[in-house]
Amino acid sequence: MIEDDIYRASSQYRLWSYTESSLQSLRATTNTVASERVRAALRRSREQQSATSSAAGTPQPGSDMDGKNKDEKEIECLTPEEELVLVRYYCEKTLELGETYRPPMPTMARATAIQYLRRFYITNSPMTYHPKSIMACALFVATKTENYYMSLRQFADGIPGETSPEDVIAPEFLLMQGLRFTFDIRHPFRGLEGGVMELQAIADGQGQPAPHLPHETAEDLQQGLLSIAPPPTPSKSMSDRIAVAHGKTRDLLKTAAQMTDAYFLYTPSQIWLSAFLVADRPLAEFLLDVKLGGPVTATIPTPETDENGLLNPLYEIRSKLHRVLTECSALLQSYTPLSSDPVQMKNLKRIAKKLYHCQNPEKVNLKRESAQAPVSQPDSGAVTSESESERLAKKRKLEQEQMARQGNDVFGPDLVQRTKP
Amino acid sequence: MALSPFSSRSPSMTVHSPNTAIRLRATAAQNAASGTAAVAASKPVPHGDRELTEQLNIDVRERYVKDKKVGEGTYAVVFVGHLRDNPSSLVAIKKIKVNAEYKDGLAMDAVREVKYLQELKHPNVIALHDVFSSKDQNLSLVLEFLPGGDLEMLIKDSDIQYGVADIKAWMGMLARGVWWCHENFVLHRDIKPNNLLIAADGEVKLADFGLARSFADPGFRMTSQVITRWYRPLELLYGAPHYSGAVDVWSMGMVFAELLIRVPFVAGNTDLDQVSKICEAFGTPTEDNWPGVSKLPHYIPTDKSQVVPLQGRDFFMRQFPTAGPVGADLLMAMCALDPRKRRTATQCLQHSWWTVDPRPTQNENLPRKSGGTKKMGDDLARRDLDEGLFKSAARQLDFGMK
Repeated sequence: MIEDDIYRASSQYRLWSYTESSLQSLRATTNTVASERVRAALRRSREQQSATSSAAGTPQPGSDMDGKNKDEKEIECLTPEEELVLVRYYCEKTLELGETYRPPMPTMARATAIQYLRRFYITNSPMTYHPKSIMACALFVATKTENYYMSLRQFADGIPGETSPEDVIAPEFLLMQGLRFTFDIRHPFRGLEGGVMELQAIADGQGQPAPHLPHETAEDLQQGLLSIAPPPTPSKSMSDRIAVAHGKTRDLLKTAAQMTDAYFLYTPSQIWLSAFLVADRPLAEFLLDVKLGGPVTATIPTPETDENGLLNPLYEIRSKLHRVLTECSALLQSYTPLSSDPVQMKNLKRIAKKLYHCQNPEKVNLKRESAQAPVSQPDSGAVTSESESERLAKKRKLEQEQMARQGNDVFGPDLVQRTKP
Repeated sequence: MALSPFSSRSPSMTVHSPNTAIRLRATAAQNAASGTAAVAASKPVPHGDRELTEQLNIDVRERYVKDKKVGEGTYAVVFVGHLRDNPSSLVAIKKIKVNAEYKDGLAMDAVREVKYLQELKHPNVIALHDVFSSKDQNLSLVLEFLPGGDLEMLIKDSDIQYGVADIKAWMGMLARGVWWCHENFVLHRDIKPNNLLIAADGEVKLADFGLARSFADPGFRMTSQVITRWYRPLELLYGAPHYSGAVDVWSMGMVFAELLIRVPFVAGNTDLDQVSKICEAFGTPTEDNWPGVSKLPHYIPTDKSQVVPLQGRDFFMRQFPTAGPVGADLLMAMCALDPRKRRTATQCLQHSWWTVDPRPTQNENLPRKSGGTKKMGDDLARRDLDEGLFKSAARQLDFGMK
């Protein structure tokens, strides 16, 4: 039984791992089906409208004309690429939403929520279910599955704007169904911590050689680490360098790894190693050398042999891994946050506008009990007004004070303390 | 299955097969590799106005037929059912009740149970074949059918005779199940005889993951309000916010002791009583035998005159003669008061007891009892910790505390 076997038993591998092409075709199918549905639903709602208005017998001036024009014009639906941009935007929003809570939600809960969203939108279209309504629910479900439980009321109160607990919980079942009732997400964060600890141990002269390289001593490893190529940005000491690379990698894992298809295409260890390569290539390659031996040469194996005259027995694995990690690094590096890029933001606004016209009218209201509640307008920007955020800040402050008074409250702030390891 | 882009673990391919786990994984891997491509090829035909995931859910639901109700608790109703196209393949269907008092969506017990059973595939962990929802938004778990009842039933039935070879077989299966959980970084946190269910072939299965959770990251707090009292280790009774798989190993030790003497070994009436009974039985924890114990939040200092020295091997041999000296040694290692000195599940499996005489009884020769289906129904429907005054505390504490 090796770790790989355990990973292959996970639902993340069994149900949520794809090749690039299978992922693409799955999304294309989802988009096609949803587009057909949207067109049919919009047609139905128009027919209904015209039926009621003619039944009322008092056609409003001009309404007839408008109706005809719309009927003739085929509704333009989102493309799979546009859907993906929209989902990505709401993934970024999820990260921000988690940040607004006091204390901020743990990275793990936010990352899990983002992966829930991404998984949900493989088989569901934003045209059917607006990501805005699914996003909050995904984060709430993540607080349950990641052991960061808070009450629904408390959670809803933390959301900027008017969001009721019922709004948050309404799509829960739908979301869980879309997740195929698999809640466990295997993140790359723990693997990174382990790798960093190992490097630190090597730097301290406490390194352990890989089982197949027993001749290496802790001193050899330490010397090897000290003689690697300099870091991208100069650092005071090896510990410092490791800490900088650690921080950069963590940031990549919190952002680029979440907002791209990395989790669908690569394993957690491939993801963190790729991010580590982006952060500090010589350091990451050193770690790979320690684990798998021998540097990878670009061409066919040269007489790169060990003292017994044998090639590194793991040469094949190392080369294969090199290819995978290079691909994954490129994917991570391709990511730039939407909100910091005016071109992407402009595109997003266009998509949001387009979505406004192709939102499935029959799926807007997700609340279980109130079928006749007014249809809420899909909101494109999710911008909170100045006064609104002020009001919420006040509300939160009051709540925090109240919590501080009830020192022993089970949800009190002192219980969520985290001591840095 | 052609319709579904996702593999399902429906029992048609698992029942009657002793090494299901391996086969399942092989099938799953195939599906992961080829299954997704199949979807694109066989474009899902929209049925009426159903979304793709709705349709998949209906496909799963229609694969099963409910036969009769076999258990009901506050939390769930349990039915025996079968695969629609194979009436001989029985399953247990646990329908989770929507809790009217609990407004926060799907209850935590259900979330935890589903989360962990989806991941843990092992011959000694109850298999979750499928999950589906019904029109009224109730969740149903399709679980392995385990008609052999549970270990509690066998322990309590004075008509049933069993010996150390049988105990070795049962304990071996329990230890492997717990090992698998820990290997996957999952703490069960409610091991006790009536959560150890028995399959038709005699295999013991760890069930009820309603209190399970993943190992916490270093520094994160966990609730100590877990594990049924008689099986709860001292570190939890003392309120330790950080703990490990050692808590489950203690419970295993208590089950082992109970199998040997056929009554719960340390049965306190209250948490305080449980602490004093443990100390009387195994010795008093001190800073010498358990460094750091006095720093635990609910640690109760013992008067110097009352200190009982830690029990040695001869105590365990005297108290549990049926186990034999090697068995007593394993039991002692599972019952170390200091969790750092307790054996891990892996170390338990490496103990020499498993290889000395007598050999564990073969599954088909293990003592069994009829009426197990009803017992399974009760076990799967029950959630002890949720009843009475503990109800809301268990939920809140667990998730409020980090």
